[in-house]
Amino acid sequence: MAELFQKEASDRELAEEMESHLQLHIDDNVRSGMSAEEARRQALIKLGGIEQTKEACRDRKGLPMLETFLQDVRFAARMLRKNPGVTVVVVLTLALGVGANTAIFGLVNGVLLERLPVPAPEQIAALVIQGSGAPLGALGFSYPQFVEFRKQTEPFCEVFGQALGRPNFTADGHSDTLAVSGVSSNYFSALGLRPSLGRLILPGEGERPGEPAMLVLGYSFWQKRFGGDPGVLGKQVRLGGKPATIVGVAPKEFRGQFSIFEMDAYLPLSTLYPDQSGNSLWNSRSIHMMLSLGRLKPGVTLAQAQSRFDVISHRLAEQYPATDKDIRVRVMDERLSRPIPYANNAFIIFSGLFLILGALVLLLACTNIANILMARASVRQREMAIRAALGGARSRLVRQMLTETMLTALLGGSAGVLLGAWLSRLVGSIHLSGFPLQLGFGFDWRVFAYALTAVVFTAIFAGLSPALRATRADVNSVLHQGGRADAGGAARHKVRGDLMAAQVAGSLMLLIVAGLFVRSLRAVENMDLGFDPNRLLNVRLDPSINNYSETQTTEFYRSLETRIRALPGVQSASLASSVPIGYIRGKQSVYIEGRPVPPGQQAPAILFNSVDSAYFETLRVRLLLGRAFLEADGETAPPVAIVNETMAKHFWPGESPIGKRFSMTGDAGPFIDVVGVARDGKYRTLAEDPEPYFYVPLAQSFTAERVLQIRSSVPSESLMPLVQREILAIDAHAPIEEIQTMKESLGGALGYFLFRLGASLAAVMGLLGLLLAVVGVYGVVSYAATQRTQELGIRMALGASRRQVLALLLRHGAQLVAAGLLFGLAGAWGLTRVMSNMLVGVSPSDPLTYLSVAALLSSITLLACWIPARRAMRLDPMVALRYE
Amino acid sequence: MGDKAAEKRDVWQGTLALMVLKTLQAMGPLHGYGIARRIEQTSGDLLAVNYGTLYPALLKLEQEGYISSEWGFSDNNRKAKYYKLTRAGRKQLNKEEREWEQTTAILARFLAPGEERS
Repeated sequence: MAELFQKEASDRELAEEMESHLQLHIDDNVRSGMSAEEARRQALIKLGGIEQTKEACRDRKGLPMLETFLQDVRFAARMLRKNPGVTVVVVLTLALGVGANTAIFGLVNGVLLERLPVPAPEQIAALVIQGSGAPLGALGFSYPQFVEFRKQTEPFCEVFGQALGRPNFTADGHSDTLAVSGVSSNYFSALGLRPSLGRLILPGEGERPGEPAMLVLGYSFWQKRFGGDPGVLGKQVRLGGKPATIVGVAPKEFRGQFSIFEMDAYLPLSTLYPDQSGNSLWNSRSIHMMLSLGRLKPGVTLAQAQSRFDVISHRLAEQYPATDKDIRVRVMDERLSRPIPYANNAFIIFSGLFLILGALVLLLACTNIANILMARASVRQREMAIRAALGGARSRLVRQMLTETMLTALLGGSAGVLLGAWLSRLVGSIHLSGFPLQLGFGFDWRVFAYALTAVVFTAIFAGLSPALRATRADVNSVLHQGGRADAGGAARHKVRGDLMAAQVAGSLMLLIVAGLFVRSLRAVENMDLGFDPNRLLNVRLDPSINNYSETQTTEFYRSLETRIRALPGVQSASLASSVPIGYIRGKQSVYIEGRPVPPGQQAPAILFNSVDSAYFETLRVRLLLGRAFLEADGETAPPVAIVNETMAKHFWPGESPIGKRFSMTGDAGPFIDVVGVARDGKYRTLAEDPEPYFYVPLAQSFTAERVLQIRSSVPSESLMPLVQREILAIDAHAPIEEIQTMKESLGGALGYFLFRLGASLAAVMGLLGLLLAVVGVYGVVSYAATQRTQELGIRMALGASRRQVLALLLRHGAQLVAAGLLFGLAGAWGLTRVMSNMLVGVSPSDPLTYLSVAALLSSITLLACWIPARRAMRLDPMVALRYE
Repeated sequence: MGDKAAEKRDVWQGTLALMVLKTLQAMGPLHGYGIARRIEQTSGDLLAVNYGTLYPALLKLEQEGYISSEWGFSDNNRKAKYYKLTRAGRKQLNKEEREWEQTTAILARFLAPGEERS
């Protein structure tokens, strides 16, 4: 626009200049003695046509930049319309490449790159606990630790944190299970947030158990559950069975401190943990629930904060050697601790790997486009030569061809971004049991910049070389070839051959990564879990929210079990406090009889489960030694336990553990008799190494919250309504927290989820890569065959057999494929080094995967060579000779 | 046909540009009319500067950054656009002078075994 106004202004200026020129000339003429009239006449003659001069200047002036560009764009659009087939193929190819990249980048961006939506987010640091010996790290601070750190770090950092909870929530007559943060009192003030309604939790509130229960709703939950009704303020609801008041709604942008799921509500810590009797969050140094962040004071760097945290960790380790000895706090950029602040965060490597895979797909797409453009460039060489002969500068021709590529790339890129948004929404809509997963596709400037970079890169990578080649041609030689399209073929064939080998290599890398992920998923799904997950239904219940007493609770479960066992199709039913790879209740310190814990050391903490007598039969956990629990192992009977193989081997190597005793309270007892040994299984994650584990009878370790597990001869899903009916029949205000099949439960974050996500993403990329490579190889070979039609005709006319012609074409293709495979194998070997933490049951250099994928790819690509080669073989020599 | 004309003009513009630069170097800031007059005089009125080519040439030199322009007033108080040499222009002039000398020297050797031209 500006250019056009400028043009008018400069026209006016030029007219003025001409006018002044005329006047100067007239003055001169007058000075040399002419009359005024004569002077003017002569000057006008000399000056010539003013309009012509102006026109000539306008030509000079108008051409730069915008006008040339518009001209190019118009011309490019015309060329694209003229070859709709080529355009559609290029746009589609690019859409796939850019789409895959945008989707992956969008996810990574949403999870890793966006800062928390709070004021001065760069000051927020994650405080990650690193305990030696725990590979995943502890999950957080214990509350006493948290309080001490908060106090001692005050001058340079405000420590705040939250504990996750899943309480039952009842309002307006129906209840559901929420994902909540039980927050420290300074949580919202340190984040610097303002409520969208009511108030947030205030400093000084909620860190003394017994305070009135209250909650702040998450924005989405408020919208979803209450339709955004501002009347919720002051509303009385029940939380974990106890009355609580809604006091506010969190700001809209704030979804909690975890980037992959959104919190439904925020409670003061005292509302989530109202009880301080016994061993509770409030006083235990071994319950690590506080996932913490810190807001660094202005001017404090991460490194400075780290060294001061180290000093405090040291002090605490000396003060509390039993619990705090090995604990170190790492102060890191909050974004690097996502999605969950484990000390060894594999997610960043995972994201990096997939970004690389995405880039590979884009490269393959670029290569295909470059191939197509190069084929077209040779067709257009004549056009270019003619334009060069007519005076077109080379830079002008290259620019014009690049404009064409850029236009196509933009079309493909826009389609790709749409595709990417759709794809990542697809991934984001995966429902994960447990916490509501939120893999948002945040389309912000970063995603846009990423997609744009991909597009520009494609246009230049794919377009520049063909453009340079098309315009380099010697005008004379092209025009003298009598219209044959190809010139300087050898070099071009070489480049196209290299591109083809690169495609095979890239596609092989993608396929090997996909193959490894798929094999790993297979291995995980066929893994021996130590129990049989088929046709098993889990129902999590918590009758304590109905204010049941202990006796009432026991009675409730007893009558429930009786009713369920009577249902048709039910083989057995049992109760437990934990579900392997599902809800885990935590560890218990174990003191072995006769082996006191040396002073200054802490007793080993071991995972355990409280189960009833039918548990081993229902879960089909085999007992190797001793007996299962009996009805007789009641509250008043002598305490008993069943340990797993690893625990038996760990504490009583080479001995039978039956009859051995240990305590859960201290070296002095009371002691528990080991009565059996169960097979090892998986308890926390699928990838874990064998871990010590033990079982105690539910009757001897009461918990109100239990999981009813039902083994059936009919599909578990069909039992769900029946089971729900039975529960409601006992208590109409049924405290069902969750009901799902064991298979569903295993699909969760600790189970198959990441393996499935990795395998499906990698498989999609691998197939994309394969498709692109096949199209590319087919294109190169069939183009080469067409280009050599005449040569082949001559060969055949001179007596070459069809077989020889076929061999000639195939040999060339096979050599390129072989070179590609070689590079691809090397590349894949390098790339998969980072995957060792992501694979289970298969090594990153698994020879079977490498060989079978290479065999598959080579047979498919050779087929893609063979089809066009065979077509060339069938040529009639006479037709071939007259070709073109 | 159009191409032929363009080619001729190109050659002419090439030398014209050199003359303009040289003139500006010799005379300092000067308006279009002055440049034309000066070139005609220097050539001993052998050349007639065609204004239809002069102004496009000036424009081109300005776009290339070799000269810059400014409105001012002539001796007899007429408003006129003054052109002057830029640093880049001075460099370009040196370069073109050298090239020109080379070209003429080479051509001289070809054309004039008998015809002595200094």
